[in-house]
Amino acid sequence: MSAVEHVTCLGCGCACDDITVVVERGRLTEAQRACVLGTAWFGDGQVPQEIRIRGRAGTLERAIAEAAKVLTGAQRPLVYLAGDISCEVQRDAVAIADRLRGAIDSLAGTAGAGVLAAQRRGRAGATLGELRQRADLVVFWGVDPGARYPRYSARYAVDAVGLAAPAGRSSRRVIAVDLGEARGPADADGRVAIRPDAEVDALGAMRATVQGRVAGTDAALAPAIALVHGMTQARYVALVADAEPGPIPLDPDRAEALIALAQALNGRTRCALSTLRGGGNRSGADAVLTWQTGFPFAVDFGRGYPTYRPHAGAAGRLAGGEVDAALVIGAPATLPDSVARGLAGVATVAIGPRASAAGWKPVVAVDTGVAGIHEGGTAFRMDDVPLPLRPALEGGDVRSATATVRALRERLEGGA
Amino acid sequence: MTTPARLRIAGGSVYDPAHGVDGVVGDVCIEGGRIVAELPAGAPRLDVRGMVVMPGGVDIHAHVAGSSVNHARRLLPEEHAADPAPAPRLVDGPPARSGTGGTVPSTFATGYRYAGLGYTTAMEAAVAPLAARHAHAELDDTPLIDSGFFVLLGNDDYLLRQIAAGETARARDYAGWLLGVTRAYAIKIVNPGGVAVWKSGGAGGGRNVSGLDDAVGSSAVTPRKILETLAGAANALALPHPVHIHCNNLGQPGNAATTLESMRALAGQRAHFTHLQFHSYGGERGKAWKSAAKDVIEYVNGHAQVSVDVGQVMFGSATTVTADGPVEHLLYASSGRKWVNVDIELETGCGIVPYSYREKAAVSALQWAVGLELFLLAQDPWRVVLSTDHPNGGTFLSYPELIRLLMDRAYRDDRLKAVNQKLLAGSALLDGLAREYTLGEIAIVTRAGPARLLGLSHKGHLGPGADADVTVYAPDADRATMFAAPRYVIKGGAIVVEEGQLRRAPAGARLAVRPDYDVAVKKDVKRFFDDYATVAFENYGAEP
Repeated sequence: MSAVEHVTCLGCGCACDDITVVVERGRLTEAQRACVLGTAWFGDGQVPQEIRIRGRAGTLERAIAEAAKVLTGAQRPLVYLAGDISCEVQRDAVAIADRLRGAIDSLAGTAGAGVLAAQRRGRAGATLGELRQRADLVVFWGVDPGARYPRYSARYAVDAVGLAAPAGRSSRRVIAVDLGEARGPADADGRVAIRPDAEVDALGAMRATVQGRVAGTDAALAPAIALVHGMTQARYVALVADAEPGPIPLDPDRAEALIALAQALNGRTRCALSTLRGGGNRSGADAVLTWQTGFPFAVDFGRGYPTYRPHAGAAGRLAGGEVDAALVIGAPATLPDSVARGLAGVATVAIGPRASAAGWKPVVAVDTGVAGIHEGGTAFRMDDVPLPLRPALEGGDVRSATATVRALRERLEGGA
Repeated sequence: MTTPARLRIAGGSVYDPAHGVDGVVGDVCIEGGRIVAELPAGAPRLDVRGMVVMPGGVDIHAHVAGSSVNHARRLLPEEHAADPAPAPRLVDGPPARSGTGGTVPSTFATGYRYAGLGYTTAMEAAVAPLAARHAHAELDDTPLIDSGFFVLLGNDDYLLRQIAAGETARARDYAGWLLGVTRAYAIKIVNPGGVAVWKSGGAGGGRNVSGLDDAVGSSAVTPRKILETLAGAANALALPHPVHIHCNNLGQPGNAATTLESMRALAGQRAHFTHLQFHSYGGERGKAWKSAAKDVIEYVNGHAQVSVDVGQVMFGSATTVTADGPVEHLLYASSGRKWVNVDIELETGCGIVPYSYREKAAVSALQWAVGLELFLLAQDPWRVVLSTDHPNGGTFLSYPELIRLLMDRAYRDDRLKAVNQKLLAGSALLDGLAREYTLGEIAIVTRAGPARLLGLSHKGHLGPGADADVTVYAPDADRATMFAAPRYVIKGGAIVVEEGQLRRAPAGARLAVRPDYDVAVKKDVKRFFDDYATVAFENYGAEP
């Protein structure tokens, strides 16, 4: 039996890096301190090790050759960055898309509404640890992080002791904003109900109030206006919203109104908007694409340089018949349904954890290990903090995604 | 041609100020990536007769990699769409990469564009320790330039606690540990104490500090104490570059007084004051601005241990990106443009506002004039480095235009006539400054000087043993044209620009320090991490 400490979990965007993973005879038997999502994400560390070429077992060399053939033969290839790969793999994947003059998109596109709003307005934010240090008022805007980000409250914004929150939870006031079915945490100190159809107007009225303008007397907005008066009295407000699709559909207007409110509050006090993002190192994909191309998702190299088509991401391109071959790097199980459905109609190459089990029947499938379990590298937390990955099962006979994607890249670059 | 292991760069006018060579016709010999004294007569030759030969350019202060820069990139899709950068056609090595430009280019484009200007070394000027791993990854994707970064200290809660407790030695050891664990090159201070106050929040409390003796939390902690502690640490750790300081009150009228007070506070110690232009204004808050460049540069002229870079403002688009969160909030409030603020736990801040400097805007014109005054009144070019604080005052692509302004008085006077002169009354520039920089002086402020100030003994000169980083320019009376497109650039012995075209794009080297310190400090830092940090002590930093 052995144990690896300070392991980073990619089960959600919290990327908790305090996990101790216990290994017995090549299997993970325990992930200490992991939440239910983390426990499921680590699993027992057993992954299939198949290489399938047109449905048959094959060698890695042949798989790379066939993958190169499929991709270079395409007119409009798509590269998709799925979950559970490191930034190092993502960097090679962007190079492949550049080489192929293909389109590239990633799981980060699921939170595109918030990204686009931030591109229009900017953001007023903080890394999660700064919320821990500073926040004396935490407002959960239609989200209970307990379900999809289970340790968010314990480790970051609410319970943990901070420099200006010496008593942790009792140093802070927690307000739940309920938007119909999208409810804040049950154990909040106060609740504010806002009708979903009045939400964006409520945010606008709150901002107007902060800026000293008259916000009207509509009764539907009164609870929101009362709330914002309380926010201006706090020293440091954490405003928490979910950036991933959930019980209420993502709304670009809401995303923008939340940013505008958080920015306006900084004229009176301090406020940081914390947007919750999913796991699998999707924030890494956003960061890598941004530094290599200047755009965070939905990039197209078709003209020989990156162009940005944020309203024509992978799902839209696939549905519109604009893709004739795809390279999916990462775990197929993490794909949004809309992307997985679209892949069924095109020739695909899948490289990643459990690629051979992909429902859309890849032409070439190469199973690899999982970043953070079988191989190292870097991953980004939801707040863009980079973390090292500490694989507990590195060095076994599990194929490395890093080496496999590098081999494909070199094959494509060699064939000039 | 291919890149030979040996090369004689033959017959150019050589400018190597570190060796007192000022336009002497001669050869520069290269072997195995280094400059050598001589080569056999039969060695391959590059005929550069009639051309100007200098060491490769060294940028002492630019924002090119890391989390703040990437936030800025993400904020600017419209700039990237307007400036596509197709992959250059290289003659060997892996295929080049495409990218985008604008004021904050993608990483590969950044490397290609620096080399295209004849720059072969650049320092990223502000990296939060928490994001060091990210900065290294971006620099790994920035070819052609040797690079390093300055790590942000001076608003970090652990350090402020040590200062409050009078633990100067522990503060020094902490700085030594942090430099090593983040693989940084130097210590950067941004608005000492001011960012910590901005982050501490509250409507009633201060939003920033305003002077060197303001309390930062504890009355024992002031900007002055922070400056003294970290300047002392950098010198005690024998770092190659002294503490690199962005003073309090950036961009405020009357801030020259704070700048001078900061310089006096560190009198007798080595210290580098960055983007001095943004810190050299007279006048008073709420009243008219004016230039105080003369007062500030006079102090610099008289104090050999002070060095500066100018942070020139150039007319056109820029993006302000800094750890100075409160300043960016002011700029957001006054400009109404888009604005990013990210408070970085236990360490620092980050603020971004896209901006445009306009000739017809009085403050922009004043800033432009203040920068030029600093250059033209400087007596020792070895301590006054050319910079635009890329992309804050303008991008590095504007360096050739800046060089023309320094070298060509007639051109400069023409430009001066076109700018808004409302705030220029009493400025030395308006009174008429005749000075024109020589090529030798340009070689100092763009290469030899910054290399020496960074302690890069193998850079910025053409003596035997130096890195074979060499730039060859075709002379042109229009100095902007001349410096915008070198004929040849040699990086580490490889000819990367040939006949003005980028032909090779080798990876650059990483410049980092690993100072000695008392490792006992690690135990105390780990305790602080266990109490407050959200990243495990063991996962912190950027060690491979």
